Formats: sequence, C-alpha cells, structure tokens
Amino acid sequence: MNKETIRTGSQKGLLFGIVMIFLVLINFHIMAATMISKVLGTNVLRGAFPEVRFMIIFLVIFGMWAGWSAVRREGSTTNKLFEGLIGGMTTGLVVALFGLILFFLLETQTDVRRYLTALSFASIDIFLLGLRGMGILTLFGLFTLTGVLGGALAVGLRSQAVANFIKKIKTSIRNLRQRITDSLPDNVKKYGKYIFYLLLLVLLLLLPARWGSYNNFVFGMVGIYVILGIGLNIMLGLSGQFMIGIAALFAMGAYSVALLNSPFPHGLMWGFWPSLAVGVVMAVIGGLLLGLPIMRLRGDYLGIVTLGFGEIIRILLNSDLLTDLTGGPRGIQNIQQPTFLGMPFNDVSYAYLIIIAMAVSIFLYYRIENSRTGRAWLSIKEDALVSQATGVDVQKYKLLALCVGAAFAGLAGGIFAARNQFTGPNDHTLMVSINVLSVVIVGGINSIPGIILGSFALRGLPELLRELETYRLLVFGALLVFMMIVRPEGLWPASRPDLEEKGNTGLKEDLDPEENEGRSDD
Amino acid sequence: MLNVTDLNVYYGAIHALKGISFNLQEGEIVTLIGANGAGKSTLLNTISGILHAKVGTVEYLGEIISDEPAQAIVQKGIVHVPEGRKIFAKMTVLENLEMGAYTVNDRQLIQDKMEAMFERFPVLRDRKRQLGGTLSGGEQQMLAMARGLMPNPKLLLLDEPSMGLAPVLVEQIFDIIQDINHHGTSVLLVEQNAHMALSIADRAYVLETGKIVLEGHANEVMNNPMVISAYLGG
Repeated sequence: MNKETIRTGSQKGLLFGIVMIFLVLINFHIMAATMISKVLGTNVLRGAFPEVRFMIIFLVIFGMWAGWSAVRREGSTTNKLFEGLIGGMTTGLVVALFGLILFFLLETQTDVRRYLTALSFASIDIFLLGLRGMGILTLFGLFTLTGVLGGALAVGLRSQAVANFIKKIKTSIRNLRQRITDSLPDNVKKYGKYIFYLLLLVLLLLLPARWGSYNNFVFGMVGIYVILGIGLNIMLGLSGQFMIGIAALFAMGAYSVALLNSPFPHGLMWGFWPSLAVGVVMAVIGGLLLGLPIMRLRGDYLGIVTLGFGEIIRILLNSDLLTDLTGGPRGIQNIQQPTFLGMPFNDVSYAYLIIIAMAVSIFLYYRIENSRTGRAWLSIKEDALVSQATGVDVQKYKLLALCVGAAFAGLAGGIFAARNQFTGPNDHTLMVSINVLSVVIVGGINSIPGIILGSFALRGLPELLRELETYRLLVFGALLVFMMIVRPEGLWPASRPDLEEKGNTGLKEDLDPEENEGRSDD
Repeated sequence: MLNVTDLNVYYGAIHALKGISFNLQEGEIVTLIGANGAGKSTLLNTISGILHAKVGTVEYLGEIISDEPAQAIVQKGIVHVPEGRKIFAKMTVLENLEMGAYTVNDRQLIQDKMEAMFERFPVLRDRKRQLGGTLSGGEQQMLAMARGLMPNPKLLLLDEPSMGLAPVLVEQIFDIIQDINHHGTSVLLVEQNAHMALSIADRAYVLETGKIVLEGHANEVMNNPMVISAYLGG
C-alpha cells in the first residue's frame, strides 16, 4: 500500500461514481434493471418499474467494474485488492453523497422533473433500494464490497495461469480452423466465394417472405440507407467532396414519386415506375444545380454550404409558400402503390425491390469505382492540383460525382416515399444527412461491406433494440467514440487487393542495409 | 516552341507576375532561377493552364494557349510536374503512372510507355505495387517525373525537382533530366539550386519579384557577379 495505490483507486472510483450519477440522472439505472429483469425471465410492463433485486444486480455489476478498473497491472496482490477496495469505496462515497441529495428530495417531496424529466420519485426510491435513508448506507457498503470483489476478479483473471489458458484455447482454435480448411476438397476452396454468394442469394430470396412485416420494414430501412450510403460515398469517398445535404437529394426523389402518384395536391397518377425514373432525374438535376455554384469550395466550407442547401430544401417544403405545390408541412399522403405485372406491392415485394435496387447500386458502384472515371475521382480527392496537371477536367468530374451520387439518393428517396405511402418535410431533416454520413464513416469509407455493416449497425440495430430507444443517441455516441479508438478506419475498412504485402517489400529492405544505399534522403 | 509575352498574373489584388516575356526553343533546357516568392511556380502554373493570366499570352507551337483549360494543354504535349513531390500518395506506383497517361487512350501505348519508365527508373519497377506515399523522397520525385513523362510530352515543366533531396539524389535527378532532354523532350526547369540548374541548362532567366531581371546563356548567367552573390553563394 502506497500513495500510488490510493491515487489510482480514488481516481477510478471518482470517475465511476460520476458516471453512475449521470446514469441515474437520465434514468438509465431503471432501464438497465429492466433489461436484466427481462434477461432473467421476469417481464416488466412498459411504464412499470423493475423489482429492487434486479437493481441490486445492476449495481453489483457496476461496482465490480469500478473495482476491476481501479486495479493497476503492477504491484502485489494485496496492493491490487486494496486498489479495488479504494475504488469501490470512492465510488460508494460519491454515490452515497448523491443518494443523500436524492433522499432529501424524496423526504421533502421536491419534484425536480421540470428540470430532470427522468428523475421521478419512484425512480429515486428504487435507486435507494426502497430503504429510504438506510439505502444511502447500503449503497456505500455495496460499492465497497463489490469494489473488492471486482479487484479480486481482476487479480484472478489477469494472472499468468489464466493468460496461459486463454493462449492455449486460442492456439487450439487456430489449429482446428487450419485442419478444417485443409480437409476441404480443393473445389470447395476454389468456389467458396461463389457458394457464399449463392447461399446469400437464397437467403435473401427466402427471408423476406418468411420473417414478417416488421422485419421487412427494418430491412427496408437498412437497404435504403445502404443505397444512400453508396451515393454519399461517391461524393465523399471517391471524389472527396464533403457533402452534408444529401437529405435534399433524397427529398427530390421522394417528392417526385409522391407528387406524381397521389390524389393530392396535383391529382397526378403516373404510376410508380415512371415517377421513380423522374425522381432519379430530378435528384441528378438537383445535384447539378447544387454543384455548379460550389465547385470552387473545398472541405469544411463545402460541408457548410451543402448543409445549408439541405436545410433550404427542407424549409421550402415545410413553408406555407409552396403548400399548393408540395403539400406544405402536412406532406403528401396516400401515395399510390406500385404494381408489378398487375400484382400490387406488399411488404415482401418492397423487400425484394430494395434488394434489387441495392444489388444494382452495388454493381454500378463497383463498375464506376474501377473505371477511368473512378480513377479520376480518386486523384481529385488526393490532390486536385496534380490531378489537373495530369489532364483531368477537375470541375467536370466533381460535378459528375455529385450527379451520380445524387442519382442513388433519388432512387433511395423514391422507394422510401412509395413504401411509406407518405412523405413530408420531417422525412428529410438534417438528421437524415448526418445519419447517412455516419453510416459511411462508421462502416468504412469506400467499402461496400462497411456501408452495409454500418447501415445495419446504425439503422437496423436501433430498430431491433426498441428497448434502448430513449438511449439510442447515448449508445450511438458511445459507439462512435469507441469506434474512433478501436477501428479508426471504420467497422470494415476498404482493402486494396492490388497492394503488395508489407512484409515482402518495404520492411525487408528497411532491415537490409545493402538495399538502403542511395535512399539516405529525408 | 514556347513564346511567353508580357504575362501578368494576379492573386486577387496581389500582382504576382509583372509582365514576363521569355521563350524556349525546341530541344532546349531553359531554367528559371529565383528566390522564394519570385513567381517561378506561378509562371509554371500559368503556362500549364492551372492559373490564367490577366494580361499577356502564352504561345505554343504557333498557337495561343493561354486561355485553354489545363486538360487541353496536357493534350497538346505540355506536362507540368508540380513542386514538392506531389504524387498520389494513396495510389500504387502503377496507378500513379496510369494517372499520368490519363489523356492517352491507347492501352498498348500506355503499356509500352510504362515499360520504358521502368527501364529508366528501375527502382519504380521494384515498387510498382506499393502505395506512392510509402516511397522515399527520391523515389517519389522519380515517380512524379515518370508520371509526367507518361503522356510523351514535347515540353516538360519541372518545378523544383531537387527540393528536399540529398546531394547524391539531386545529381541523379539532374542526370535524368539531361537524359530526358537528349531523348527529345524540351525542359523548362524551375530551380532554387541555381548551381545545378545552370550546369545542365542551355539558357537561363533570373526572376525577382515577378519580373525577369537577367537572361542569357547558362554560362554567362553563371558568371554574372549579381547571380554569383545572390544565388551561388560566391
């Protein structure tokens, strides 16, 4: 036991205590206890509160985590246990002080919900474990105890024996995998990729018909964001133009389909397919009109202007000025449903439509990326000046990127509007643009698997985890921070198959002094 | 071959080039020397169409090109290699070379030219699948020059090819420039390393604050007392 021990322990404990306070202020403790309760098989009705024992489980887990992280890697076992104890005690102290305030609020029946909407009396009561004043002491004791437990767990799990055990398991898994690969016939290895695609195709054909309309809805949302993501990636990832207003182009596709296919305001009934084509064309025109005045802008300035463009379109749609033309704030209802060979569309057909649109978009994307145009875009992204010096018409290709990206956004918008049978200004807010941007960046720029994964993670998961709904943005923020640390290039970064392995070029020569002759610059 | 008359270029209100006139004959190496901010790079950017002149003309093979866009000028056979080893760092060496031949549409021609570049710069062949950004400084400069040679230019505009390189490499680069010239490409060379530039050039112009203050054969310029004191450290 020394100064360092006390300092690490109390610092970590303080941190965890503050986090706990924050969590209680946003009512997260109730949600966590509810989740634990559900996992353990006791259902909690919406709006009801979980039992106190589940709250205790949550607090125990939290306290052990605090104790665990208070333990440093160095030092003797006693020291480590002591660190856990200090950590738990500090957390307990902070939480107890906070509990005292809560207790005071409870006793005087002061309602703070005007300022902290989540902090109801029932919520406070459960946090104090239903023990009122005694709850404060219990919380302190609980955190102290669990801190030591967490410390002990850290000592145990970080020991050499456990490390060896994990290593052994890892090796045997690797061996097993190697053995399976070796035992497969050559044909399977050779055609493995195609077999995978075939399975995927069968899965995509079978699933929408079977997994119910809610899943089809979620799947459709993911698919639409994949198409939007591909569109944005052409602007941002390939040609390096920082575009934030993609919601405006999305709106152009959506409103084209909506206005040309609804009884109100124009009474036009063009049918879905022609109006989808019009939607794509309108979005391209939108991209062109946006692009012409901003060709000279770069980086953050471009971002601000495109953001403004997105907002202008939304505000126009929302204003009374254009109510006669675009339906105004109420949007456009009763969009006529498409038919295919005389059959009306249902949720399953929309899922198939989105799969086809996605497949076409991905195919087109790969074709463009690997073409002369794609190469020109990448060169502009890297260095517009050199690109110009090698004979690329920079302005033309930048405009082209905006237009091609806009076409994808328009396609997504058209399908989106028809599927919802409604579209209005609130479907095209800044949040849509930011979500698409996040899908591309979180997934991995210039990587189609990344965009699909990002779209699923950011659009699909929140839908599936309805429980977390209120905390979606919290989880979202945490995910972004976590990802920036762990995977700064995205969940599934783009890979370049035509690059040489680092091992057999640069590295070897760096180690070989003979080869280094004449490279003594820099 | 190249005739620049009374060129005036502005950056907003800043008068960067104040009436520059000079010429370059076919097969020559002409060097422009001058201190930082003299307007050397501005001049090259104007010739290659990245910047446009307010007053004055650039005439190339009897044709006024000063109003043409950069890509048209590349197609006419003037290639600009910008300063500071500007390569595409996240593209492979092969892709960099392909970008150089962006204006060429003939696959076979590109293949042949690439082979020729690997002959001239063997180090690039060894690294053809590496990202441009992973090359050393000298290799990057060679890549930039090779990229410039890909479309088979008649006139090469080189902006400070020796910048930031070790003396051994500078000599190597200048040998290559001479070799390129012997193979029939005219070179307009902008340099701060006046000594090296004058030793390989046929003629030279000295640029100071946007004006040409001295011109003549490289030998004469090298022996000019003003040049010796200002640029050759004599």
